[in-house]
Amino acid sequence: MIVAKNLTKVFIQKDGEELYAVNDLSFTANKGEIVVLLGVNGAGKTTCMRMLSTVLQPTSGTAIMEGFDLKNNPQKVRANLGFLSGDTGLYSRLTAREVITYFARLYDVENAKIKSRITELAELLDMHDFLDKKIDLLSTGMKQKVSIARSIIHDPPVMIFDEPTAGLDILTAKNIVSFIHKCKTDGKCVLFSTHIMREAERIADRIVIIHEGKILAEGSWEEFKKETGMHDLDDIFIHFVNKIREVGNELQ
Amino acid sequence: MNFNKIFIIYKKELLDLMRDRRTVITSLILPIVLYPLLMIGFSSMMSRQELKLEKQEMVIYVNDNVLNISSVSIEDELKKVENFQIMEEVMIFEKTTFLDLLEENSIQVLIDIQDSVSTSGFQVLNVSVYYNLSNDKSSLAHEKIVDIIKDIEQNLVGERLSKININIEILNAVEIKDENIAPPEKMMSFALGKILPYLLIILTISGASVIASDLVAGEKERGTLETILVSAACRNELVIGKYLTIITMSIVTVLLNLFSMYITFSHIFSQAGQAVDGLQLPLGNFALILLIMLPLITLFSAILLSISTYSRNIKEAHSYQMPLIFGSIMLSMVSFLPGFELNLGFALIPIVNFSLLIRDIMLSNYNMMYLFIVVGSTLVLDIIMVSLSIRLFNNETVLFRTVEEKSLKFWGKQKKDIFSTQFVVIFFLVILFALYYFGSSWQSKELMSGLIKTELLIILLPVILLLRISRSDIKKSLRLNPVKPVNFLLVILAAIPVIILAAIFGQLINLIYPISESYMEAMKNLVTVQERGIWFSIFVIGILPGICEETMFRGYMLNAFRKKGFWPAIVIAAVLFGIFHLDLFRLLPVTLLGIWMGFLALKANSLYLAIFAHALNNCLAIVFVNYSDKIPFLEKLVSEENIPFWYAIPAFLTLYAIFASIKKVNKEIVFEE
Repeated sequence: MIVAKNLTKVFIQKDGEELYAVNDLSFTANKGEIVVLLGVNGAGKTTCMRMLSTVLQPTSGTAIMEGFDLKNNPQKVRANLGFLSGDTGLYSRLTAREVITYFARLYDVENAKIKSRITELAELLDMHDFLDKKIDLLSTGMKQKVSIARSIIHDPPVMIFDEPTAGLDILTAKNIVSFIHKCKTDGKCVLFSTHIMREAERIADRIVIIHEGKILAEGSWEEFKKETGMHDLDDIFIHFVNKIREVGNELQ
Repeated sequence: MNFNKIFIIYKKELLDLMRDRRTVITSLILPIVLYPLLMIGFSSMMSRQELKLEKQEMVIYVNDNVLNISSVSIEDELKKVENFQIMEEVMIFEKTTFLDLLEENSIQVLIDIQDSVSTSGFQVLNVSVYYNLSNDKSSLAHEKIVDIIKDIEQNLVGERLSKININIEILNAVEIKDENIAPPEKMMSFALGKILPYLLIILTISGASVIASDLVAGEKERGTLETILVSAACRNELVIGKYLTIITMSIVTVLLNLFSMYITFSHIFSQAGQAVDGLQLPLGNFALILLIMLPLITLFSAILLSISTYSRNIKEAHSYQMPLIFGSIMLSMVSFLPGFELNLGFALIPIVNFSLLIRDIMLSNYNMMYLFIVVGSTLVLDIIMVSLSIRLFNNETVLFRTVEEKSLKFWGKQKKDIFSTQFVVIFFLVILFALYYFGSSWQSKELMSGLIKTELLIILLPVILLLRISRSDIKKSLRLNPVKPVNFLLVILAAIPVIILAAIFGQLINLIYPISESYMEAMKNLVTVQERGIWFSIFVIGILPGICEETMFRGYMLNAFRKKGFWPAIVIAAVLFGIFHLDLFRLLPVTLLGIWMGFLALKANSLYLAIFAHALNNCLAIVFVNYSDKIPFLEKLVSEENIPFWYAIPAFLTLYAIFASIKKVNKEIVFEE
């Protein structure tokens, strides 16, 4: 389970100006639930994901993951977390098995268990044919499968996907989506970010719409429909963005 | 920190590197193959080349103006030499034509024989041997000819002496016999000791640089860094794991280099038949060198890891490594220079210390104390660099540096900020080069007028022009503000403690880096009143630099750096001021002086006070050097004798009190960032 509390990230730009990439973000993602962070490019999704995965330190606020505070206990947070993004690389000179084993060891998976776990994952993701090939020789789809295996080798209760389908062909993307569904049925807590409305529509239990670092709306697809009276998620998204602009203008 | 995880990371990195062809070639294969190829190939090529040269035909022209038995014997003897071809005599001899032929290598030697009569009435053959030293063939021919002519001379002298019944052996009054007491091992160590440090340092750094750039910058480039950061390993474990990988690979590289070098040299010497005479390479020395290389390897690894962490990709890492590699090459060459001995000063300069120490170890002639100083000082630097690496790796703005740096374009459509750090640094470098190329040559032509031109044209004018062109408020930018008069009094009071502290500081530096007599003499000359009188000296050396240099450093630059805070701004401007004097011996004292003047300028918010302090300092130097003999206290300061170190205590206390007073006097002035 993830509980984000007032997460804020400020970047100081070259000219000394402050940029609020993520501004006071609070939300919850429960066990067995898929929560989608939806927003255009530059909305602050990746920054938020990076803070949750402890790669970046929040400027203020924090998040609790499986009972561990990411500020005080980042290592425990990472141990309970699987992270996958569209552009995470793999070590091209190692074989798929070596990469997965390396991460398993870093995640403290017992040596005796590593082998059986890899066989299990190879079965699940249909990786037997290329398990002992060097990453360099694999296709994009195969690499993505290795990345998935790498991210769940330690069977984490929380999964974070940062635009995992970006730049992938339709078949590979479909694999990922079905994998995400499997995570949900396995009772994992899933946080997923995307800028593609249709993708969000298809897999989300709950959607958190963020824009310019702030939450515009939070709820299920059905709730959004009811609230706005609209049926298309694109329209709903634009509706929320316009609404916040109007509020901003009024304030000015 | 979990050592098991460090080991997992370390093992993976080694495996990964071992599969990288580039790394394997530069770190493992190159050292093994390089020496045999280089040494054996080179030596056989050399001997073959020499042989070839010996066999080549050499054309010689003899212009004999004497034509007596002795002179003709020269030509006759030359004709007997194999490969010597004596040119037919020409009808009209023109020396310049033959010198041209010599220059274009059509002939190798021109011999011009004249004669004269000595004061005692003997005939002397004047043989001029013209040859071309830039040509191997000509040099070789010259060598042979000189030997032949010496033999002929010997015969001639013999004949003359026998005519008056004197035995030629009378000439052998002194016989010089060269006896080299160095055993062959030592000779070899001497030769190896010069080249080994250079080779080892360069190979270590070049091997480690390839690996280091791959380990972090490479991960950034391949997009694997984020993957590893979200793993359960903590960042310090990652840094240490990677650091150990670089160290291991470097040790292997050095070990292979030493091993390959040892085998190759042994091979060469056994071929040359010297092994029979008991010549052995000093194996123990090689082992000690490997041991003392460890701190240097760890230092290089830490620096290279920091560079790799800072860089966004491998290409960027390579360009940042360039100055380090280039600097190391230059510094490591010190072992080639004669007369450079390891002393306390050199023992504290990185790379230079290792270069000299390795040379001494090869000669089995090293000083244990210096060995410990070299190793100890390197370990201290090592700790600093490793902690820097760890800090960089934990700094997310460095790790995820994505913003493109501003381009080097300054004068575009927009009004550029002449107070940005980047601009100031470039401006400083341009001025520095101008000073080096123009200022130095003006001053070497005529010191005083050169100084005036340098101060006005290279230092003051560019700053004023810059401020005018950028339409900056000159008065505000340079802090041309009125000062409370009491400040001037305080600066005058501070002059004596400042001078005492500077002198003691100079003495301390002199202990570590002894300043040469000639340098002291040159410095003294600079401030000695020349023919134009004391007031002229005070103006050129005292007041003018005060105005011009302060305008640049405490005016323009201090203003540019003020964003960085009160003390950082002062220190940065002072360090640039120190570098600007292009004098290693004065770098520290001048920088300290710069800090004092920076403090005055910012505290009183006025450039005038800094100018006053600067001019006062320079003027006092003139007065001291020229009038010290008339004032007993000054004599002690300027004389060769050292000032007792305890003088520093009252001087420091006085200065501290003046510091506090200046702060108090100007307390209403607020420092604006």
